[in-house]
Amino acid sequence: MNARKLPILLTIIVLAAAGFATLVFLGKITWFSEQPPLEFLRNMDLQFKSIPQSGNTYFSDRKSLRDPVEGTVARGEQPYQLGMGDVDLAESVNVDPNLPKTEFVMARGQNRFNVFCAACHNYDAKSQSKLVKRGSWLGIPDLTREQTVALSNARIFHIMSAGQNLMPSYADKISVTDRWAIIRYLRTLQGVEGVASIAPAVTTQAQ
Amino acid sequence: MFSRRFDMGVKVGGAVIGAVATIVFLVGFFGVRNDVADVGYRPVQPVPFSHKLHAGELQIQCQYCHAGVEISAHSPVPTTQTCMNCHTAVKAESPRLQVVRDSYESGQPIEWARIHKVPDYVHFNHSRHIRAQIDCKSCHGPVEQMGVVSQFKPLTMGWCLDCHRSPEKFIIGARPISGVFTGKLHNVKDLLDSAYIFTPIPAQVGVSRPITAPQFGSYETDIPPLTVAGIPHPKKAGRGPENCSTCHY
Repeated sequence: MNARKLPILLTIIVLAAAGFATLVFLGKITWFSEQPPLEFLRNMDLQFKSIPQSGNTYFSDRKSLRDPVEGTVARGEQPYQLGMGDVDLAESVNVDPNLPKTEFVMARGQNRFNVFCAACHNYDAKSQSKLVKRGSWLGIPDLTREQTVALSNARIFHIMSAGQNLMPSYADKISVTDRWAIIRYLRTLQGVEGVASIAPAVTTQAQ
Repeated sequence: MFSRRFDMGVKVGGAVIGAVATIVFLVGFFGVRNDVADVGYRPVQPVPFSHKLHAGELQIQCQYCHAGVEISAHSPVPTTQTCMNCHTAVKAESPRLQVVRDSYESGQPIEWARIHKVPDYVHFNHSRHIRAQIDCKSCHGPVEQMGVVSQFKPLTMGWCLDCHRSPEKFIIGARPISGVFTGKLHNVKDLLDSAYIFTPIPAQVGVSRPITAPQFGSYETDIPPLTVAGIPHPKKAGRGPENCSTCHY
């Protein structure tokens, strides 16, 4: 290389590096790193206390969230008592609270249905979701078929709470009120009037 | 007075020290700022979980796994039971899921590496923000496009205050994929369209008013009456409070 061009080349390299560093420091370029962020002055960023769902060296099993004492029920918690097989009991135990027939309740039912049910049963309850089409699950029933429409609200509540076949229980994820709201919404998807459902023409309102 | 060589030494030495000090200052000032250092933190997780697959392609909504975020301050990382809801049947033999199956059998939770963390002297309430119909994307970025999740926003105090002062500039409205409850019905035909799922509803921002009382920051949200007991009702996002005690213990 020509000795005269060397300083020019060096200058370009240095300028490019400086420009890159400046962009990174200004946050214009994301610098991905697997290492925890540098803390120049830690101050009290990390304190000795329990943070939900973080490891904790104080307990031998490293859980910050402690398991409840066996046989106790947390305040406000409503555990579902019936097992998957107690189908007959379900009719008498699960009493429909008859939620008010408003758009608010329907929207809540739709919201919770989309979150927890639509992954498999799809947004229209016909069970052709992305997951099912991928071939991962087989035998997920169409919720708009006659057999499902014929089920009572209490029975559907039981299926959601205790599970059925491959479907697990969702009692820990969906609150009791939300489960009844989902049933209200499901009845409109089915296009029928259930024991406590409003007219099926609610899905026409676009946002 | 001094020799020429000493003079030269002082000049060169001074220049070198000045240059080093400048570089140290620049790196120190910019490099350790949290908004630079924290963004892009992408730790290796015990299970190679892909949000791009689960949320992006399969459209499993955010709250399916992070259930309870709308009633809890802490956004829950899913329990192993949540993984096994599907993975008892789907990919049940996959060696990548061995950690999950072990955790399910032993009852010992998987220790996911935490990405987003505010300092321990700050409290952040997820439910308050979710119920203001603020989409997850506003702070966490397009998670459904991330194969490996990295931190997207700096989570600095200035960043928080920017949004509390002028939310209309920063808030991304609720998207159907997030499962944020807005109190409004969607058209079912729209939901079957993949593009609609990821399109934010324009954010409903409440009216801002000048800071009068309370003295340190004010905010205004339309809090509807509790329509149905047991259903967390949505609010409009307004100007966030700017009291010290809003965020700090």
